[in-house]
This record gives sequence, C-alpha cells and structure tokens, in this order.
Amino acid sequence: MLRSRDIDKFLILITLLLVSAGAVMVYSTSSIMAVKRFGTEYFFVKKHLSYALAGVALFIAAAKTPYRVYYKLAYPALIIAAILLVCIYIPGLGFKAGGARRWVRFGPLAFQPSEPAKLAVVLFLAYSLSSKAGRIKAFATGFLPNIIIPGVIIGLIVLEPDFGTAVTVGALVFVMMFAAGARITHLMALVAPIVIAAWFIIHRFGYMMTRMLIFLDPWKDPEGKGFQIVQSFIALGSGGISGVGLGAGKQKLFYLPEAHTDFILSVIGEELGFMGVGAIIALYAMFLACGVTIAMRAKDLHGRYLALGLTFMVVLQAAINMAVVMGLLPPKGLTLPFVSYGGTSLIINMAAVGILLNIYIVENEA
Amino acid sequence: MKKAALIEKNGRLRIYILLAVFAVFFAVIAFRAFQLQALEGGKLGRMAANQHNRTVSVPSRRGEIFDRNLKELAVSLDVDSVYAEPGRIESPKAASRALAPVLSMDAREIERRLGSGRGFVWLKRQIDLGDDQRRKVAAIEGVGITKEARRFYPNRQLASNLIGFIGKDSGGLEGIELYYDNFLKGVSYRLTGERDAAGKTLMYEDVNKQASIRGMEIELTIDKTIQYIAEKSLARAVEAYGAKGGSAIVMNPSTGELLAMATLPTYDPNNFNSFMPREWRNRAVTDAFEPGSVVKLFLISAALEENATRPEEIFFCENGSYRVADRTFHDVEKYGWLTTSQIMKYSSNIGAAKIGERLGKQRLHRYLKSFGFGEKTGVDLPGESAGSFMNYKKWSGVTIDTVSFGQGISATGIQLVTALSAVANGGFVMKPYVVRRVADSKGAVVAETNPSIVRRVISEKTARKMTELLIGVTDSGGTGTRAALDGFEVAGKTGTAQKADLKKGGYHESAHVATFMGFVPARDPKLAILVMIDEPKKEHHGGVVSAPVFKEIASESLSYMGVYPEGPGGAKTSMVQYVSAVSQSPLQAREGGRGAYAGTKEDDAAVGGVPDFTGKTVRSVLNAAKERSLEVSIIGSGRAVAQRPSPGRGVPRNIPVVVWFQ
Repeated sequence: MLRSRDIDKFLILITLLLVSAGAVMVYSTSSIMAVKRFGTEYFFVKKHLSYALAGVALFIAAAKTPYRVYYKLAYPALIIAAILLVCIYIPGLGFKAGGARRWVRFGPLAFQPSEPAKLAVVLFLAYSLSSKAGRIKAFATGFLPNIIIPGVIIGLIVLEPDFGTAVTVGALVFVMMFAAGARITHLMALVAPIVIAAWFIIHRFGYMMTRMLIFLDPWKDPEGKGFQIVQSFIALGSGGISGVGLGAGKQKLFYLPEAHTDFILSVIGEELGFMGVGAIIALYAMFLACGVTIAMRAKDLHGRYLALGLTFMVVLQAAINMAVVMGLLPPKGLTLPFVSYGGTSLIINMAAVGILLNIYIVENEA
Repeated sequence: MKKAALIEKNGRLRIYILLAVFAVFFAVIAFRAFQLQALEGGKLGRMAANQHNRTVSVPSRRGEIFDRNLKELAVSLDVDSVYAEPGRIESPKAASRALAPVLSMDAREIERRLGSGRGFVWLKRQIDLGDDQRRKVAAIEGVGITKEARRFYPNRQLASNLIGFIGKDSGGLEGIELYYDNFLKGVSYRLTGERDAAGKTLMYEDVNKQASIRGMEIELTIDKTIQYIAEKSLARAVEAYGAKGGSAIVMNPSTGELLAMATLPTYDPNNFNSFMPREWRNRAVTDAFEPGSVVKLFLISAALEENATRPEEIFFCENGSYRVADRTFHDVEKYGWLTTSQIMKYSSNIGAAKIGERLGKQRLHRYLKSFGFGEKTGVDLPGESAGSFMNYKKWSGVTIDTVSFGQGISATGIQLVTALSAVANGGFVMKPYVVRRVADSKGAVVAETNPSIVRRVISEKTARKMTELLIGVTDSGGTGTRAALDGFEVAGKTGTAQKADLKKGGYHESAHVATFMGFVPARDPKLAILVMIDEPKKEHHGGVVSAPVFKEIASESLSYMGVYPEGPGGAKTSMVQYVSAVSQSPLQAREGGRGAYAGTKEDDAAVGGVPDFTGKTVRSVLNAAKERSLEVSIIGSGRAVAQRPSPGRGVPRNIPVVVWFQ
C-alpha cells in the first residue's frame, strides 16, 4: 500500500480536501435556494461549516481516544443506537421529512439516528468478530449472532423507511464478515434471504419499485420519474472535461433536486467537469487505500476489523452515491460522505476518521 | 500459531479481494463519468442549454423602401415598447398601479400580464413616451423600455397595393413587404435569459445591449411622381364613371421596369386593418380579365410577322354580321371592305376573326403564348396570376375567332403591358420588375436587377409596321383618338370587353372592362401604359373611358421626365428643344443621321444624341458610353443588335440607353 509513515498525513489531507470541497460545493449549490427560502445565501453553508467544526472537534477527540475503549463500548453503543432509532416514533422527538421518519430532535439538536447506527454496527462487529475470531466459521455461534444483531438495526432503519442506509449497512456487514473469514457458503445463504426480503420490500413499497426500474432507462420518463437521473446526466454532461466554472452551474437552479445533498457530485461534474469528478473518485480511492493499509498493520484483530469497518463505511457509501448519480444504481437517498450537506453524517464520518487515525497512532507506538 | 498464521493469511487474501472488487467498482464509476462527460458531453450540454435558456425574439429594424429617386415609400420609426420581466417584480399589484396611468392601460390588465407566468411580457408596444413617463417606467424594478421600429408609410395609400404592409410580428403580409421580406426584415436579435425548473426567468441580458442586424433597403423602379400621376388620373376616371375599380400600369418598355402601378380600390397601409382584404390586393398582378380588343394588337403582330397579311390587304367585314357555325359575330359599326390597318384602327371584330382564321389556330396560339399569355411574367410581386389561355388543341370551332378579338382568353394587366412593351421595343418580351436594387443598411449594394429578355417574339420590321398601325388608332377616325397627345404620336389600342357572367354563363350585358394601352412617343417609346377600368357605368368603351386616362398619365409623365414634343405643334416645347427638334425630323434621326435633337434640359451628355451601337461589342459600347457619360443598360451578350433610344435620339431623365446583344 502506501508508505506507512505518511498514512496519517495522507488521511488527514484527503479528509480535509473532501470536507473543504464539500463546503465550497454546498455553498455553490445551495446559495440561490437559500436566498429564496431563507433570505440569505449563507444559510446552508453556515450550518454546514458549524457541523464541520463540530466534526473536527470530534475527530481530534477520537484520535486521542485509545480505540480499545470501543471494545467495551460496543454493546452500549448498539443499544443507544437502537434506542435512538426507536425515538423516531416517539411523538415530540421524532419527526417526518419528505414522507419518511428519519429525524430525532432533542431541544435544538436534530439528527438522523441512522448515521450513528452505522457507526454502532461497525463498533459492534469489530468487537464481535475479533472476540469470536476462532468461531467465525461456526454457523450458529460465530456467524449467526453477527448477522442477527446488526439485522435488528437494519430492520429499524428499513422501517423509517430509509432503504438506502439499510442497504449500505447490510453491505457493510457483508464486507466485514467476508473480511473476517466467514464461510462463503454462509454468506451465500445470507444473500438469498436478503434478495427475497428486498423483493418483498420493493413490492411492499411501491415507490421503490418505480425507483428501482426507472434508473435503467431514465429517458423513458425524463419529465417524471426519470427526472432526477436525467437532470444529473445533463449536469454531468454539460460540465464536459473541465466544467463550466465554479459557481456557474445552472442545474442547481431548481432543476436538480437535492443538489446540495444526494446529487452534489452532479454539480461538481457540471462546474468542475470530469477533472473535478475524477479528483473526487481518486480521493475516495486513496481513502480506501489508507484505511486498508491501517487495517493491515493493526496490532490486533479488533483494530483491523474496526479500521476496515470504518473505511468501508465511508467508501461503500461514497461508491454507491457516485454510482447512483451516474445512473449505475437506482436512486437511494444516500449522501456523499464529507461532501454532501448534512450535519449528522459529516460529524459521524469525521469521528470515524479520528478513530482510524488513532488505530494508526497505536500501530506506531513502541 | 500455525492456525493463527493461516487465519492471518486468509484474512489478508480476503482483504485483497475486497480491494480488487472496490478497485473495479471505482474504475467503472470513473469510466462512466468519462462517458457521460467527455463522450456524451456535447449532446447533454445542448439539452442543458435548451432547458436553461429562454429567448425572446425582438424584431430588428426593418429596411426602408425607396422609389427610384430615393424618395421614401416605407420607413421604420423608432418608438418605445414597454416590457416586463415578471420574475423580477416584487409586487405585481403595486407595479400595475404605478404603470397604469403612464401607459394608459387598465391596472388589472397589467397585473394579469405580469401574472401570466412567463419570463418576459410586452406591456405596451409601439407607443411614444415623454421623458417624464420614461423616468416613471424606468423607476420600477423589472420593467424596461426598448426601442422598437414601427413601420410607417409616409405617402399613405400611394402605391400601397404594390408596397403592401407588415403585421406586428409576422413580417411582410402583402406586396413588396411580403415578396422581399427576407431582405427587409433583417435578423431579429434574441434576448437570452436563464430560467429555473419552475419556469421562472432569473435574468435577461440587457435589452438594449445587443445590436441587431438591420434589414436591407430596397430601391424600386417605381417613380413616386409617375405613380402619383397614375393614381390621380385613374381615380378621377373611376370616380367619374362610378366604376368598381381599375388599374394603370406604366412601364419602361425597353427594360421592363415598372414606373408606376396604380390600382383601385386601395387602402392606407398605416391602418390596413380598417380595410377589407380585397382592398389590399394588387389587381394589376393578381386578377386576370378578358382583355377584349386589345388582343388584336398581338394577333395582327403575329399575322404580319408570319406574312399572313399585309397592312394594305383588304378583308370583307360582312357588313357587321358574320356567322361561323352556330355563332354570329357583330361589329359595333357595320363595315364592308377594310384593310388590315383599318381593322386595327376601327377595331373590327369580324376583320380580326378573319385574320385569325388566316393565321390558323396553331400559329395564333404560338404567338400569343410567346407574347406571354397563359404564363406568369415572373414579376417580383406576390400572388401573380397566369391568366387562362387554353391550348389550341382544345379549341372549339369558333375559338379561333373569339380569341382573335379577345374573348375566351384572360390576362392580367402586367401580362398585357409586358406584351405591349415587346411591340414597343422592337420585339423583345422583357421580364418586368419592380425592385432594381437591394442595399444593406450601410448602403452597399447586395442585389441588383438588370433588364432581362425572356424571348424575342417579333422582328424589328414587324414592330415598326405595328407601330404605324397603332398610331392609326389614335389618329382621327380611330377608336383611340382621345388618347392622342399634343406633339407626340401615340401608338395604342382600345379594348371594350363584356365581363363573363360566372353565375349564368355567357356575358353580362352591362358589365364591361374598358381598356386602353399604348406607348409613347410612338417611334421612340419611353413609356408603355395600360389603363383598365372595371365596370364603368354610363359609358363603357375603352376609347371613351380609359383613353383619356392614358392621355393624362402619358402627357404629365413625359413632361415630368423631360421628354418634350417632337413636332412643331408642341405647345409646351421650350425654345431650346423646339429649335433642336425642328432642325432634324425624327425620321432623319432614325435613318442614322447624327441628330442635334436634345432630349432633356439637364442631360448635356445627350446633346448630339445617342451613338449607333449596332454591331459593336459590349466592351466598345461601354467605352463609348463612358466617353459620353451615358448610362447604358446591357442586355444579353455578343454584338449589339438593337438599342433604345434609336441612334441620334436624346436620352431623357431616369432612363438609361438600353442595348441588346446577341
């Protein structure tokens, strides 16, 4: 992988680049809408920057916290995550936005419980997989618990419904199980019911069916259900190689829904062209390389699985988001880590990088 | 330890597998980005531009129309138009209330327009605003004023049927305005605004910033003064005889240039909407009618050309009643024996029918076709009719007789005057035209019309014989004496046709078309004129109703052009011309003598007359013309075969020397 000495600097640099690109793009994509809705062009970017600041604080704290504490915190974290997910349904705490219950509010603090839930699942699996390292190939004692417990969390997320995050967490579990040495047959056995469950869910929730199919041929209904994807294509295409210039994009002018969140990469593509998109892809690839290198060098299995889980938590979501924006996967409602507007996600991801850094620091101790 | 190492190895392998899978995933994403952005970028970019930009087309300033002396016939005036960009207006209600008194519009109407959801709306177009009003309008955010050109026809109904008019946005609707719309309209410029998905326009480029490409200017062959003379004379007769309408066309017979084209009824193009569409029509071009006896002119031309008869040959005119098959033809007066010349002079139908029979239907058909009957002249005006002229194979037994005196055939005014010009200019059917020059707004000539020969129909010799016959018509005793001018010989022909009854078949007893057409001065024609009056009451003879109109147009136009009487009898002749005119008779001048006859007061260059160009090449003609500062019009190529005016003649104002080459 990379020269191990520089990993920390690389990781910090990559994260900072992504976060600052995000801040710039959030401003670019949201300012006109912000003026229209809130009377100030800085509405979204100010909030975003304050979350980023909180994220930096959490990042520093996490980097200074020996990662071994998460061994003991695994279950408490998981329980808290589950409670928060249940809070969504408590009137006065949870609230709806855009047809789904995804938010919880404590006083002035509002966040999406599914984001800390992701982290909790990673913490839990890192603990569980490393503590049961010898039994991982045993179906009932090694495999099943690591599926059922995250499965409960995934189930809660599906109920919101937040299918995108559920799939991401599911994929994350799969990736971690695979890395930890689970039997391929077990994993295959896992995929089958998931496919069946997915099939059921898609049929159960009609809107997902249409979401599922439209991405295959968005031009069939460019004004209706294919609108988002078509507008994303138009944004990417009009950017060409070098883009129309930062801030000069037009697709964000109410053409591209959620330009500052799920489809921020489309606007990057429009304003900065293929060079901008390529740079973002490269940054995530480098993030993956850094994360995996840290995992490989970890002194214990807990550190390795934790590093792997955190790395894939970021990279998996990034890859899915980019694939959606480019019409390779159906729209899921997933944000681009570090870049998209969204406080909870930004803070959690920065905390994850802090933990990764700590694993690296511990590796280099003594 | 061994087992742990195995697990460790297995774990590394799996991580590498994961890495490889993700590497592929990223590669696919990167390739897809490249495909969308680099490969399909152009196509998608155009789609983006389509949905982002909204354009408003603002017509450019339309080119002006001038007569041959650059007098304005149609002009564009800059006036104010007030527009709004509703997306930029904060309170439509307040804006409407503020604008209503300034624009003298209803506030609710303004509010309705502002609320139409469009990015750009006109509030009021083409109004004149004072400085104070402008300030008030400019003070309102989202409302602006732009200069728009309004079409204005300073001479009102003068030549309106010829010039036509334009609609508010749709360009030329009639006449020259329609036919030359592409030249006149210029390139309208576009205002580009960005709009969002909700269809709201966010911003427009400044309306006044972009320069438009102005329309081109058009110079007609029409002479405003001659046009005025023609219209005035025509109107007087139409009124005096309570006629339905009429037309008068003045052509330069040597070139095919139209100098005037008057029609009635007419309208004011500044206010075209208050007139009926039938009043917009240019009947001289669009409406065909049965020409009646004027056709004899072409019949006898054909017969002389074919040597089927001689001017002195006599025909028995059946004492006014001639039976062919089941039809009996009549003459107005009863004649016994008439020469061909007299048949023309007295306009005997029976005589004409007999000459027609002598010529035969095939040759008659061929000649009339050659003269342009049944075929559009190709004049540069919209809506031209070809008239109707049946093929001789479909003629019935008596058609040869009726066609000979102008029944069972129809023609437009422009066709008749073009055919007449062929007799006047020595046998060339010219293509008539109204626009002689198109220039861009900076004055550079973009297109120029040169005279062009369609075909030659009769020889110079026949044309000369015909001229003598036609002079007889206006000589004492002829049917066209009222067209005779003091001091000029006039060659002409009358026509009085009953109008066909389209409902009952056959002919109307009381509805006539009275025609006179001729050229003057007969032996050196400067003008070919057709006068047609539709359904005159009381009198209906072409010689009575139309000939005086011809006379008035001819005499006033010639005097305006500076063509003065040739003979000693010319009362209006100035001393200089009188002296030079008597010093050499026209006949001598024709025979090639170097005449001292001066055509105009102003044209010093013409003193000494036009040289004889016959047999010369184009280049030597041009050189000779340059030496004498003569304006020449070259038609065809090769060696000079004919010219107008004839050698030794003077050159009047406005008319170049025309030389034909073959």
